[in-house]
Amino acid sequence: MFDQVEAFHRPGTVREALRLLESGKGRARIVAGATDVAVQRDQSTRILIDITCAGLSYIRREGGGWVVGATTTMAEVEQAAGMRTLANGLLARTAAMCGSLQNRNRATVGGNIANGSPAAELPTALLALDATVEVATLKGRRTMPLAEYQAARRNGGGRALLVEVGIPRPPGGARTGWAFQKFGRTALDISVVNAAAGLQLDAKGRVKSVRIALGAVAPAAMRAQAAEVLMTGRPLDRALLAEAGDAVAEEVRPITDVRATAGFRRDLSRVLAMRALEECALQAGCRL
Amino acid sequence: MKTMQLRVKVNGEPMEWSIAPGELLLDLLRRHGYYGVKRGCEEGECGACTVLLDGKPVNSCLVFAAQVECGEILTVEGMARGDRLDPLQEAFLDHGAVQCGFCTSGMLLSAKALLERSPHATAEEVTEVMAGHYCRCTGYLKPVEAVLAVASKKRGKR
Repeated sequence: MFDQVEAFHRPGTVREALRLLESGKGRARIVAGATDVAVQRDQSTRILIDITCAGLSYIRREGGGWVVGATTTMAEVEQAAGMRTLANGLLARTAAMCGSLQNRNRATVGGNIANGSPAAELPTALLALDATVEVATLKGRRTMPLAEYQAARRNGGGRALLVEVGIPRPPGGARTGWAFQKFGRTALDISVVNAAAGLQLDAKGRVKSVRIALGAVAPAAMRAQAAEVLMTGRPLDRALLAEAGDAVAEEVRPITDVRATAGFRRDLSRVLAMRALEECALQAGCRL
Repeated sequence: MKTMQLRVKVNGEPMEWSIAPGELLLDLLRRHGYYGVKRGCEEGECGACTVLLDGKPVNSCLVFAAQVECGEILTVEGMARGDRLDPLQEAFLDHGAVQCGFCTSGMLLSAKALLERSPHATAEEVTEVMAGHYCRCTGYLKPVEAVLAVASKKRGKR
């Protein structure tokens, strides 16, 4: 790739980046942390557009929730005070598991989502938080649920730039818990399976709301909707967790690849979903 | 092929270099004689190419040279002051933490950055940082020991 690159731009605005992308006519590629781009070495790329100077590195409150700029690094998410309190620190803890420190110092939230690896960690946690993404084109900006972005990306992205991630105010209160679980061959490896869960209990210990998301078991991170429906309104106990685990194992659509068989991933999905829910239960003050 | 001009500080010295647009920081640094920056996996897994960019450890194989414009880079060559080794370098030698030495420059720089942000780093923090460095020789015990020795010396100095 590298010898064939003819130009490297560092636009100061999103608009300029989009114009460069448009004029590149398919031979231009957006780059930020480069932790995916520099590994992929796409042979057709002639122009690189570095968006890290375009004002997209920020984490701030907006409305009742938070917004995170696309070029915010994993390390910044890990360290930001706001991310360490939001949803009991779910995003900070998840970002801390995205590879080595050297990679977390460069890898960006937007890049991780846009790269679209089914095994990525952050999108799983973001999905559990009902996150949205804002996408910019020369025609304007549009905000959409993360799942919609992921589906559109799989059907051919086009000349759009992911500029921001939005996290709405999550269910709160003392009886909530949020957890992330990851299984990899080594401490820093790509996820074989990962899972994120959020739980809110009512005063009687029944499930008021629950979110269960899994990564590396489908073309993109997915929510285990059947398991969520099954749990809602019922008292939280070990039997319910087991039922939910079974439902998760049924819902996931894993493949067999170099890292694991589909069967192993299916088993792992049950285990990680249950562990994540147990962790949530503990935080929510529920003794199982 | 068009070249670009890059201004960057390396080990405290301002440099102005001609670079190719798609050039990687790893290649640029080695091209200019910084052989302490090792070519390992070239895909951000092994950490042998680690340098400090604006104080933070990064894998130079995954940084485009053009991206460090106006930045400050520290390589292992910048750790000693003339004949005076950095305390971490001394500790690595004293504790037998260097065998083949290929992972060493990366480990030293990551450790230096760690102690700068967390002077009394714990074994857990040191181990976590070392996870980004593949070492086939030492089994990590001595390098971690060496870093902790420097951390506790800093504790003792208070």
